[in-house]
Amino acid sequence: MAKVLVVADIKQGVLKGSTAELLSKAKAIGAETAVAAIGSKTEALIPELVKAGSDKQYIADAPGLELFSAGPYAACVADAAKQFGADMVWFGFSESGKASAPRVAAQLNAACATEITDVKLQGNQIEILRPAIANKVMQRVKVNSDKLVAVVRAGAFEAKEGIAGTQNVVKLSAPPADLKAAIKELISDASGEIDLADADIVVSVGRGAKDKAGVDLVKQLADDLKAGFGSSRAMVDGGFMAHNKQVGQTGKIVAPSLYIAVGISGAIQHLAGMTGSKVIVAVNKDPEAPIFNVADYGIVGDLFEVVPILREEIKKVRG
Amino acid sequence: MKILTTVKKVVDVELNMHVKDGAIVQDGLQYVINAWDENAVEASVQLKEKNGAETTLVSIGGGDNTDMIRKCYAMGIDNGIHIEDPALNKADSAIFAKVLQKVYEKEKYDLVITGKQAQDTDSGQTGIMLAQYLGLPCVSNVISIEVTDDKHIKVSRLGDAGTEILEVELPAVVTVSDSINEPRLPQMRGIMMAKKKKINEMDLAALGTSADDVGAAAPKSEVIEFMASKVRKAGQKFEGAAAEIAAKVVNLLANEAKVF
Repeated sequence: MAKVLVVADIKQGVLKGSTAELLSKAKAIGAETAVAAIGSKTEALIPELVKAGSDKQYIADAPGLELFSAGPYAACVADAAKQFGADMVWFGFSESGKASAPRVAAQLNAACATEITDVKLQGNQIEILRPAIANKVMQRVKVNSDKLVAVVRAGAFEAKEGIAGTQNVVKLSAPPADLKAAIKELISDASGEIDLADADIVVSVGRGAKDKAGVDLVKQLADDLKAGFGSSRAMVDGGFMAHNKQVGQTGKIVAPSLYIAVGISGAIQHLAGMTGSKVIVAVNKDPEAPIFNVADYGIVGDLFEVVPILREEIKKVRG
Repeated sequence: MKILTTVKKVVDVELNMHVKDGAIVQDGLQYVINAWDENAVEASVQLKEKNGAETTLVSIGGGDNTDMIRKCYAMGIDNGIHIEDPALNKADSAIFAKVLQKVYEKEKYDLVITGKQAQDTDSGQTGIMLAQYLGLPCVSNVISIEVTDDKHIKVSRLGDAGTEILEVELPAVVTVSDSINEPRLPQMRGIMMAKKKKINEMDLAALGTSADDVGAAAPKSEVIEFMASKVRKAGQKFEGAAAEIAAKVVNLLANEAKVF
């Protein structure tokens, strides 16, 4: 039986949904599952980790692990993988996962793949599927090693109900701090905001909003919908939106139930980050904007006129 | 200070891609410098201008890379190494990292700057693996680099919870995000000077290594087939009076798509 170690995606002390998604997939391919939770106060998450579908929990819980540092983080994952005898190690789609996976692969002498969307297992032979070239093609990749470390693309797997595992906790010793790449400070993203990666609805703003007043207008729509508020590259470069709000090949990859692109033309780099969304709505003045090629519902019009009406109409149907 | 920058030639992602018989149709494709590597080149040149540095680029594969490397010279890079070897045709990130390790060990550098990923694979592994093989500190997804003294740099990276500030001991490897800078357009003087510069062309033997040595004889993973991505079809597009079409779309979202 193959063994899959899922690295728990924990953000500011909260266990993210991708952990249950990855564990569900691991069970679906018939693997024995374990989870590694690394950080500070991670012991408190044990019940949730069991509920998410893990049969073994490797817990690294130390104050020194509170701020992400790739070296110690990867060392914990490699330690858990070795103790578990993992054939595969899966990270959720996160910056910490992307930073850690190649390190863990090098330490385990394993193959490494990022942004995977599917895994097939036949005997010991692992095969994966992943998009490449800004999502324009898919690659089928044969893994020639008996071990694989992978980062799973956002929204690739679905969490199944009733997959709860069993509690079987193994404590990991905290590795020494990385003194050569020492984390000095974390300038936190504004707290209380809805995380783009988790949001069921995402509203994104683009160049069409022009300035702060335009951004504020679109944000009201996001707030009404309790949606994550994202951005195209143009508004980040223009200083109107924070870096961490950028959706696209270079930023966040999102796959919500509903994605509303407001004033975004739809450059290929932006599309690479959002075409996994279930339903896409686009608002743009230009009827030829490429965003309409991927939108289920397109509204050709001036966002300054359309957005207030959308807000009113949405209030009517949602009550 | 000696800075090594990695540069990869990649397919232009703005063009349409077609797949036939498990491979990408090459007709009509163009190859350009990987956008993130262009940010890495710009970052190297800015550090050179501010603090003084010798800047070297290395590029693996891509066939005739002369134009791309000359462009980087014109931006301000001092030296260029191009490694081309048929043994690397199926190389994965780990093998590229091994080759880069050999390049690094020949000359030793204080800082290696790579793009955070290549646009053709979107893998984002090579720079981080290189640091692992060299036993050097590494910070990925970096948006600023500041030299603090001979032995240290201060960098910020975009992490999951916000912007992380790190103090890094040199030598080190950093991989950069496109948020770090806006690459300059080469100026005429630079372009003229670049034409006179040599490119150090090498194969694995000239680098003092072999296919076996860098693991190229047995890649840990290989692409066996390319497939077309599922293309989203354009749905319904509404034009006309804003009040009317906005109401119509909300109605469809509620009753057809059932998202509300």
